[in-house]
Amino acid sequence: MPKSSTEKSQNLIWGLFSSVRLTIVLLIILAITSILGTIIPQQDDAISLAKQLNPGLFRLFQSLDLFDMYHSIWFRLLIGFLALNLVICSIDRFPNALRRFRAVPKPDRSKPFEHLPSEQAFLTEASLKEASATVARFLRSRYKNLHHKETQETSYFLGEKGRFSHFGVYLVHLSVLIILIGALLGSFFGFEAYVNILEGERIDAVALRKGGGPLKLGFEVACDKFTVDFYENGAPREYRSELRFFIEGKEAEKADLLVNHPFQFKGITFYQSSYGTVPGNKVSLRIAGPGLGPKGETMGVEADKPYDLPGGEGQFSVRDIRGDIMDLGPAILISVQPSDGKETHFWVFQNWEIVKKRLPPPMAKSTKFNPSAFKPYTFFLDGVKTKYYTGLQVNKDPGVPMVWLGCFAMVLGFLMTFFMSHRKTWVQVSEKRDEIKISVAGTANKDQVGLKRHLERLTNDLRNRLDERGK
Amino acid sequence: MLSSTILGYITFAYFASFILYLLMMVMGRDFLGRLATYVTFAGLTIQTFAIILRWVESYRLGIGHAPLSNLYESLIFFAWTIIFLYMIIELRTKTRTLGAFVTPLAFLALAYASFSPGMETHIQPLIPALKSNWLIAHVITCFFGYAAFGLSLALSIMYLIKRLENDQSKSIFLKLIPRPGILDELNYQMVIIGFLMLALGIITGAVWAHSAWGSYWTWDPKETWSLITWLVYASVIHSRMVRGWKGKKISILCIIGFCCVLFTYFGVNYLAGLHSYAK
Repeated sequence: MPKSSTEKSQNLIWGLFSSVRLTIVLLIILAITSILGTIIPQQDDAISLAKQLNPGLFRLFQSLDLFDMYHSIWFRLLIGFLALNLVICSIDRFPNALRRFRAVPKPDRSKPFEHLPSEQAFLTEASLKEASATVARFLRSRYKNLHHKETQETSYFLGEKGRFSHFGVYLVHLSVLIILIGALLGSFFGFEAYVNILEGERIDAVALRKGGGPLKLGFEVACDKFTVDFYENGAPREYRSELRFFIEGKEAEKADLLVNHPFQFKGITFYQSSYGTVPGNKVSLRIAGPGLGPKGETMGVEADKPYDLPGGEGQFSVRDIRGDIMDLGPAILISVQPSDGKETHFWVFQNWEIVKKRLPPPMAKSTKFNPSAFKPYTFFLDGVKTKYYTGLQVNKDPGVPMVWLGCFAMVLGFLMTFFMSHRKTWVQVSEKRDEIKISVAGTANKDQVGLKRHLERLTNDLRNRLDERGK
Repeated sequence: MLSSTILGYITFAYFASFILYLLMMVMGRDFLGRLATYVTFAGLTIQTFAIILRWVESYRLGIGHAPLSNLYESLIFFAWTIIFLYMIIELRTKTRTLGAFVTPLAFLALAYASFSPGMETHIQPLIPALKSNWLIAHVITCFFGYAAFGLSLALSIMYLIKRLENDQSKSIFLKLIPRPGILDELNYQMVIIGFLMLALGIITGAVWAHSAWGSYWTWDPKETWSLITWLVYASVIHSRMVRGWKGKKISILCIIGFCCVLFTYFGVNYLAGLHSYAK
């Protein structure tokens, strides 16, 4: 019978995924496998380890996606199984919870009153009618829906609180799903990118973190200024980028970007992430030679602009500005064009005294690295004016509100599950042999200690209320 | 810094309360227990003032921030939350035996903070990434979680020790430990508090990371280990709530859980250190 066998296998699968034993196993497996990714360097950091591994081990790691395990198919499958398990467990058990939620309890049950502790009952001098009216008034002020039943010699009351606590667990499970859906939304419809913007420049595209070429933003971003501030001990105090946003060349918005203060423009969020310097196009130059004083003549020079030599022998210009050459520090390429004769090129280092000793001999002798290559002058580089660039993280994640909603639901669900209980409280006002007795009993699905305290307090409150009656 | 000097002395106060609680259990004398409570309470009060003083001191230095910004300050706060939670439990349950198992945790945290060489005890200014209103919420929730798990560890150990007792045992120490049922129930309550607080800690951390770096979850080792810890306690709660596990199994799971807490707190730094060394 094919039908029954499919039914059987369906039941088997349903049985597997509706078991909490599977939940516990999956939670533990997720916990243990997650450890791997914290020990094995992930993504970009993995390269250094990968170089040290022998080829066999490397292939094994590679085929198991261990260098990017949190995004691997098997890890996502594990999370998927947990989600499926959670859904099926919830569907499997929800009807029971709904039944308990909907159940209309009887006010005249006697079972809760079996073995009633003496401190949960007392006698009153009021008449039955008077006593039940007082009790009813009091309970009505405490309970929104009070069930009531009347017989000849007894008034029955039942108050309920915390019915919704039956749903707490399901809210927590739902919240996990909401968070996972939020994460999926982010990975399908969002992106993570970065961009460096030089002070004074504008960009219209960013680079995706996972590679795949530049991404056009559809608007332009300019960094007018970047500043970094330090404390006395040298630790950074603040990074600030002054940004402007342009749509079709027109300025649309202005914003100061700081760490912890991201800025959103057209659904894309910008974060202050890093910074750096690049040499600008201005240097401070000193020329020594006859008639220029003991220290020489200092001047500010812009790149690729011709300047006259001090003695009028011709012109010179700065052709290249480097922040660092061969780990020897900043250097510039100077080109001298005498009015008569051939053009000369040579590099001038900022730390010449030190660099001189560290250059390999053939290079030290070469005129290409000699700052006195054009006689009778010697060029010195006093400094390169650097320019800051700001490094921005540029993200779009439409799943974020969903994730926050899930987090909120989870906390709410926890509070309902752990700290709320469904309490039923019965109160009987009964007449026996001309005595009016009031007894209080209750049940709860959790927190029996709290229930006991609640019942004793309620008994006391009722007693006080009846004593005060008429006063 | 006056505050760090005072905090150094409180280490000894908690050591004294540990010895007193222990003596109470070995000798079975009530007055030793009362004395232990007084010493612990005095320690907690002075520690509270020292933490406030440190806060004030940071403002005097012109770099005012809550004293929750580095390893030293977090250890101080960890010890404080453990003793604070313990004092509430002692007050509510009227049993002192837990003290002998909990005070060593606070003492060790403070000793590590105050006497470990190379520990930065000075008040440091906040770097830009830490300058956030989420700092306080994140650290407080995480450490209340850690402290509740610390108490759960103590209760689990007590449970396992209590199981050694049989009809013939005459040890006062074993006799004084509360009934296994009470320990189990209290342990479960601590797990629930810790679980909720750790969840809040992870959530506040995610919100903060999202505003500082642009993504709420990056699988960084510290994040991942906090999730591992959370998963372990989630399995504790499921195995107890649904499958009805109790006692020994739960105690062992809780001890494993606390090892994860320790790794999340300290081990991750070591791990990152290993990585940077390997490079």
